[in-house]
Amino acid sequence: MPFFVLQERLIVKLSIALLGCLSVAVSAKTLTVVDQHGSPVKNAVVELLNVATDKQPPQQIAIMDQVNKQFSPRLLTVMQGQQVSFPNSDDIRHHVYSFSEAKPFELKLYAGTPKAPITFGQSGVVVLGCNIHDSMVGYIYVGQSNAVFVSDDQGKINLPDNVGEYVFWHPEQASNINERAKMSWPDTGTDARVKIKLVTPVPRNTFGEKFKEHHGQ
Amino acid sequence: MKYFAYTQKLMVILLMTASLSACQSAPQSLYQKVGEQAGLERLVDAFINQIGQDKVIFHYFKQTNVSHFRAGFISHLCDVLDGPCQYDGDSMVQIHTGMNINEHDFNHAVELLIAAMDEVGITHPVQNQILAKLAPMRSEIIKI
Repeated sequence: MPFFVLQERLIVKLSIALLGCLSVAVSAKTLTVVDQHGSPVKNAVVELLNVATDKQPPQQIAIMDQVNKQFSPRLLTVMQGQQVSFPNSDDIRHHVYSFSEAKPFELKLYAGTPKAPITFGQSGVVVLGCNIHDSMVGYIYVGQSNAVFVSDDQGKINLPDNVGEYVFWHPEQASNINERAKMSWPDTGTDARVKIKLVTPVPRNTFGEKFKEHHGQ
Repeated sequence: MKYFAYTQKLMVILLMTASLSACQSAPQSLYQKVGEQAGLERLVDAFINQIGQDKVIFHYFKQTNVSHFRAGFISHLCDVLDGPCQYDGDSMVQIHTGMNINEHDFNHAVELLIAAMDEVGITHPVQNQILAKLAPMRSEIIKI
């Protein structure tokens, strides 16, 4: 009998400990993001404000790869101070650059010649391009904390129970690319909905775009 | 009368000297023969249009930045054809590594360049001189 009690207590204690660890990850609230037509929007970014998270950036080096002349992933979220590597999995060269205020940089990536990772020390939005292949566009969202969440294909973001104020951003938002809208979770309810106006990206300066009428597109 | 004949003679001599010295000055560079910067721009624009309407090698260029390619090729040609430029872009090897361009596609690109040179009215002897300058780069472009 005492043994069972002990076991029960242990389980309870373990559960509490686990809950404690997972408190940030516990999904108690769901935000649904839709565009001006009511369609679900993926890759919308929510960063929680005023939450206690790690002050130190993760040691783990994040990866923004180049695959088949595209950035992979198209959107990467990191914490300020975190390092990002650009491995270039293509056999050809890329010249990755950004003019964004949060991290202007240029990186010539030749096949089989890895470059050292880059530290993203300032929070904000970093738009990536490739000088050679103008069709390539990627984004790195650098958060102040690691309480950063991204919407899935259904436009849904699972958020922890303690969500209060947050900032909201999307790569194709109609407002300025650097603008991160400040929002608050409604006082009641576990579900909320945000509507965002998106714009179609401007055509790229590529042969494909310039000569598309000759290639059946 | 005599005086006039003298001046006439002098002028003839002067003119001959002038034309002689023109002949003796440095021979025209290929850069000058293709019409310098403006001529190179016309040529590269014609080449871009040839590529854009081509079915064989277009896929190599589909995602390529048109302005970047245009500026790079103009500067490279200017340098290679002895114009007043220093090409500081990537080497031919760096540019073509990983593309695995076979002989057929390489030759096809040369044909498109010839078509572009025809289009902008570069004479055949000058075309041959240009191709002779470019030919040594073949091994830096093909099958790498």
